[in-house]
Amino acid sequence: MKAATAILTSALCLGFALPAAANRVFVSNEKGNDVTVLDSETLEVIGTYPVGARPRGITISPDGKELYVCASDDDLVRVFNPETMEETHTLPSGPDPELFVLHPSGNPLYIANEDDNLVTVVDTRTHKVLAEIPVGVEPEGMGVSPDGKVVINTSETTNMAHFINSETFEIFANVLVDSRPRFAQFNDAGNKLYVSSEIGGTVSVIDPETQQITKKISFEIPGVLPEAIQPVGVRVTKDGKKVFVALGPANRVAVINGETDEVEDYLLVGQRVWQMAFTPDEKYLFTTNGNSNDVSVIDVAANKVIKSVPVGQQPWGVVVAPN
Amino acid sequence: MKYLVLALCLVAGAAQAETGADPDWPCVQRKQPHLSLGQMWSGPEPDETVRELARTPEIAALADRLEQRRLPLEKAEAEVAEFAKTADNKQLTALMVAIFDRIDPHRAALIAGIARYGNKQVDLAKRIGDHRQKMEEMQKAEKPDFDALDAEEEQLDWDTRIFQDRQQALTYVCETPVILEQRVFALARAIAAGLK
Repeated sequence: MKAATAILTSALCLGFALPAAANRVFVSNEKGNDVTVLDSETLEVIGTYPVGARPRGITISPDGKELYVCASDDDLVRVFNPETMEETHTLPSGPDPELFVLHPSGNPLYIANEDDNLVTVVDTRTHKVLAEIPVGVEPEGMGVSPDGKVVINTSETTNMAHFINSETFEIFANVLVDSRPRFAQFNDAGNKLYVSSEIGGTVSVIDPETQQITKKISFEIPGVLPEAIQPVGVRVTKDGKKVFVALGPANRVAVINGETDEVEDYLLVGQRVWQMAFTPDEKYLFTTNGNSNDVSVIDVAANKVIKSVPVGQQPWGVVVAPN
Repeated sequence: MKYLVLALCLVAGAAQAETGADPDWPCVQRKQPHLSLGQMWSGPEPDETVRELARTPEIAALADRLEQRRLPLEKAEAEVAEFAKTADNKQLTALMVAIFDRIDPHRAALIAGIARYGNKQVDLAKRIGDHRQKMEEMQKAEKPDFDALDAEEEQLDWDTRIFQDRQQALTYVCETPVILEQRVFALARAIAAGLK
């Protein structure tokens, strides 16, 4: 009996210990009109689910219960149950939603409308539009400060990062950056804002306090023509020490020291790499490679690409469930 | 007739809005005139010895075969794996160089072709506008020459049809450089997998 109990106990312990923090990874496939779901531990595809026309931006609520997808050609945001991948409802988004960011509290959602130069603010609980904020031409990148007080929008044609007060919905500062800004990302301390410029080929490091550019990071890769280096997605580790920048058709992700803002490494991933997402424990970083139709998995501690996983047609965005 | 012109304007308008004003590049994709080896290869940097090796008959013949799109990618990858069994890193790098030196010029020629395609569409759109203007003038004449008007209209219909067909084919035309990029990248991955 004792032995049986011991076996049972160890089996139980094993049972609880074995499934390490496996999370679901959601990849939007722009051309496939679907989302591929991966397991973050086995790195295998769990399934592929239709999500509407031309899915691009993708994010998940902090409690992991709602998955938001910009269905660009449907002109709305579709919301799914991440467990079942069934659509629960839609949110109004304005025309051609491309990218959005969720307030750290999970509400509201800030959506960039590329075609009509607006940022639409939507309440994720009431599903109502709270505000439409006029910004520059072709709004694209969206970021939010860790305290949720400042929302950043970048406009591709005006070449600016607009600082928006999240309470008054008013722009209080504009920072001119290099050509075609695509993405804005704060570090967790909130004292640095990284804005990538796709055509300019740089990442501007901005002090959010003074709204001044403190440094411009540029990239050089031996054997790669400069015009192929097109920075898009940016992700920063929680401790702020490592910054990853996806370099588009250079097919590389740059690893930057978050303290000195110097490039330390370039990792060869797949073709036309745009967006990235960490697992919650920051063991892995997933990248979407739009032309090779796969996702690369980067071992964050080792700065190493460990696997590429084929997904759907033209993967665009990626998010990892928080739980 | 009016509807046709309207449809044409809409098509042309949409095409412009989507692709910008550059007639040399009518595609949605960003124009990238040339690829660079470093975009797909992080293996050893090719030196003179490697470039020399790339021209040897064995590697050149293999590159010729692998480059062809009619050879399915899986078979090409299997051939690379077979070659990698006995090849050293210099030979593998040479194979990469040989493939790149074949696919990039091919792709550049395609891009020049797309520029010609784009320019032809611009010319055709202009010709359609000219036909329309001419027809308007002919209709205003005191005694319109209806035979000539019919002939003009027929020409206009043809040009419009060709324009629209080509516009529809544009999506596919613009995809072809991407298809080549995908192939050279996939082959690079297969070769890199064989590096010792």
